[in-house]
Amino acid sequence: MGQIEWAMWANEQALAAGLIHFHESRGSHTQHLPGTPHAGLLGHNLGVAGVLVCLLEYPRSKRQKGSTMERCGQKYLTAVVKVFGPLTRNYYIRAILHAALAVPAGFLLSTILGTVCLGIASGIYLLAAVRGEEWRPIEQKPREPRRMGGDTIRQPPSNPPPRPPADAHKKQLGEVGG
Amino acid sequence: MALSWRSWLANEGSKHLFLLFWLCLNAWLFWKTFLLYYQGLQYYYLHQMLGLGLCVSRASASVLNLNCCLVLLPMCRVLLAFLRGSQKVASKKTRRLLDKSKTFHVTCGATICIFSVLHVAAHLVNALNFSENYNEEFLALNAANYRGEDPRKLLFATVPGLTGVIMVLVLFLMCTASTYAIRVSNYDIFWYTHNLFFVFYMLLMLHVSGGVLKYQTNLEEHPPGCFNPNKTLRQNMTMPKAFGEPFPDYSTDSFPEDPPVPEPFGQNNLVRICSEEPKFQSHFPETWFWISGPLCLYCVERLYRYIRSNKPVTITSVISHPSNVLEVRMTKDDFKARPGQYVILHCPRVSALESHPFTLTMCPTDTKATFGVHLKVVGDWTERFRDLLLLHSNQDTEILPIFQQRPYPKLYVDGPFGSPFEESLNYEVSLCVAGGIGVTPFASVLNTLLDGWKCYKLRRLYFIWVCRDVESFRWFADLLCLLHNKLWQENRPDYINIQLYLSQTDGIQKIIGEKYQALNSRLLIGRPRWRLIFDEIAKCNRRKTIGVFCCGPNKISKTLHKLSNSSNTYGTRFEYNKESFS
Repeated sequence: MGQIEWAMWANEQALAAGLIHFHESRGSHTQHLPGTPHAGLLGHNLGVAGVLVCLLEYPRSKRQKGSTMERCGQKYLTAVVKVFGPLTRNYYIRAILHAALAVPAGFLLSTILGTVCLGIASGIYLLAAVRGEEWRPIEQKPREPRRMGGDTIRQPPSNPPPRPPADAHKKQLGEVGG
Repeated sequence: MALSWRSWLANEGSKHLFLLFWLCLNAWLFWKTFLLYYQGLQYYYLHQMLGLGLCVSRASASVLNLNCCLVLLPMCRVLLAFLRGSQKVASKKTRRLLDKSKTFHVTCGATICIFSVLHVAAHLVNALNFSENYNEEFLALNAANYRGEDPRKLLFATVPGLTGVIMVLVLFLMCTASTYAIRVSNYDIFWYTHNLFFVFYMLLMLHVSGGVLKYQTNLEEHPPGCFNPNKTLRQNMTMPKAFGEPFPDYSTDSFPEDPPVPEPFGQNNLVRICSEEPKFQSHFPETWFWISGPLCLYCVERLYRYIRSNKPVTITSVISHPSNVLEVRMTKDDFKARPGQYVILHCPRVSALESHPFTLTMCPTDTKATFGVHLKVVGDWTERFRDLLLLHSNQDTEILPIFQQRPYPKLYVDGPFGSPFEESLNYEVSLCVAGGIGVTPFASVLNTLLDGWKCYKLRRLYFIWVCRDVESFRWFADLLCLLHNKLWQENRPDYINIQLYLSQTDGIQKIIGEKYQALNSRLLIGRPRWRLIFDEIAKCNRRKTIGVFCCGPNKISKTLHKLSNSSNTYGTRFEYNKESFS
C-alpha cells in the first residue's frame, strides 16, 4: 500500500457532512426529540455551523507529492483560511472541532445523519493528524513569460557583421532561431 | 464549427436515447409506486397514519431497487468483453453503448445516493409519525410500541432501522471516496471503500426483511373507511374527514378499466358496514428479486476471474525503454486476446492487495504465444515492480549458476477485458490518435497488422502520435518501421499514414535515430492542427464512415469529439470512440 493521504478523504467527507448538516437543520424546527428544549434555536445554530464547516473545508490542501486539483474559486477562501495559521493548519484541532459540532446535532432527529457523517470525518482527520499531515495552502505560481524563438532573441550577436564563423553549437542555435 | 445533426446523432444519439429510456423507467416506477400508496385501498389506514412520508419513502425505495439492480451490470467485465467480441451477438451500435458502461455505473450510483437521501428523510418523518400517530384501533399496523415512543428507538433498535443507518454510513464512505479528485490522487482509498459494496448488499437483504410496513389483506370484508356498528358514535364520526383527502377521484369515473376497484363508495360513505376487523400482512421483500440476479452474476464472474487468473504467467523478457517505460513479455497457457484489450496485473511481492490495469501492446497469435505490456513508471507500485524486475535482469549480467539465480517475481494476469479500441479494425478507415503512453492500445493493433493485414475490414489507418519527448518515439520506432517496410514490400504504401508530432522541443534534437529514416521524415514539430487534419482526411475519404479513436489527454479527446460531431463538405462521417480511464 502506498502513501495514502487520509486528509484529502476526510476533507471530502467533512464538506459533504457540512452540506448535509445545513440542509437537515432547515427542517429541524418541525422535528425534535422529547425533552429537547429550544429545538428551533439549536437547529438554527447547527445550520450556521454547517455553513462554517463548509467554508473551512472548501479550500483543498496541497498534496505532498504531485499536483493538486483545486476546487473552483478556492483561492479566495484559501486566503481567509490561511490567516488563522496553526488553528486551521493542524488537523488535531479540526478533528476536535468536528467532533464537538457533531455532538449537539445528535439531539435533533433530522440532523442525526449529519452527526454520524461529521463524526466519521472527525475520526479520519484524527488519523491524518497522527500520521503528521498538515493543511498547506495551494499557492498560485507566477506565470513565466513565454519565450518565443529560443534564446537568440534574448542574446543578439554582440559584434556587427561580418562575423567570424562561430563554433558548431552556436551555429545550430542561430539556424533554429533565424 | 457547424454542428452537423447527422454526425451528432450518429455519435451521441444512441447514448442519449438509452439515458432517456432509463430516466423514463425511473420516473414511471416512482410515479406508479407513489400512486399505489397514495390511492391504494390496502394502504388506506397506513397512509392515514403516516401521510406523504409513506408514499415518498416507498416510491424512492422502488427507484433504489431498480438502480441497485442495474449498478452491478456494467461492472461485469467478462460479460462485457464477451459481448464485444461476439460480433454476431451485438451490432456495432450496441458495442458502442458498451463503451459508456462506466459512465452508466456512475449515473446509477449517483441516483442511488440521491434517492437514499430522499428515502431516509421520508423514513425519518415516518418514524416521527409512527410515534405521534400511534393507532390504538389497529394495533398490528404500528411500528412503535406506544404513543410518543422515542423515534430514535425505531431507528436504532429495529432491524430495518439499524441496517438502514449502517447502509447510509457505508454509502457515505463509498460516495466521498469516489470523487474524481480522490480517484486521481489516492486510488487506493477509492478501491478499498468501493469493495464495501458487498456489505451494502448484504445489509440491504436484511433491511427489507423487516416487514414494518403492512398492507390490508381483507378488502372485501372490510372496505377501508366502512361503518362499524360496534364502535362508538364519536369514532364513526371521524371517518368522513378521512374521506375528503385520499379519495378525490372516486367521485368521478376515472378508472373505467379497473373493474376490481369497488364502486365509488365515497357517495355511500356511511352506508357500507364492515363485516370484520381489517387484517394486515407484511410484504414479501421484492428487493430480493431485484438484486439477487445481478449480485449472483457478479459473484460468479468474480469467481471465474479468480480461477482464470490463478495460474501465474511466465515472464520471458524485460526490456527497459527510454522515458521511464518498461516492457514486460510473458507467456501463459490458453491465453487469448484481441488487439486493444487490457489486462490487470497482480504481483504479490510488490503489493498483496493492489492490482493495476495495463493495455496489451502485443497479443498472442497462432504462431507466437508471447504477449506483452508496456508500463510507464509513475507511481510507487510501478516503481517497485520495475526495481524487482530489473534487479533480476541485472543478475543476468553476472555469471551465476542457474540454481543460484533468483527467479522473476510471480505475476498474475486477470483478463483480457475489452475496450473501444478493438473496433479500429472493423472500420474501413480509422483515425488513431495517441498521446504519450496512450499509444499502447494502438501498438497491439499495429502488431496484429504486422502479422497479417488482409483479413480485416480496415483499408486505411491514419496514425497520429503526439509526444513531449523525442525519446518516447523509440518505444515503438522499430515496430512502425517494420510495418512501414512490410507494407511497401507488399505494394500497399498508403495503407498506413504515420504522423508523429513533438509537442515540446528544445530545438536541438530533431530526429529519432539514424536508422529510423521513415519516421524522421514524418516527424513534425509542434502540436497537430486537428481541424486541418480532419479536413484532409475527409477530403481523401469522401462519403465514408471513419472511426476516430483517441487515447491521451482529455483536451485532445474533447477537441476530437467536437470535430467528429461537426460537419464537412465532403459528406464524410466521423464516429468517435473513447474509453474513460480512472
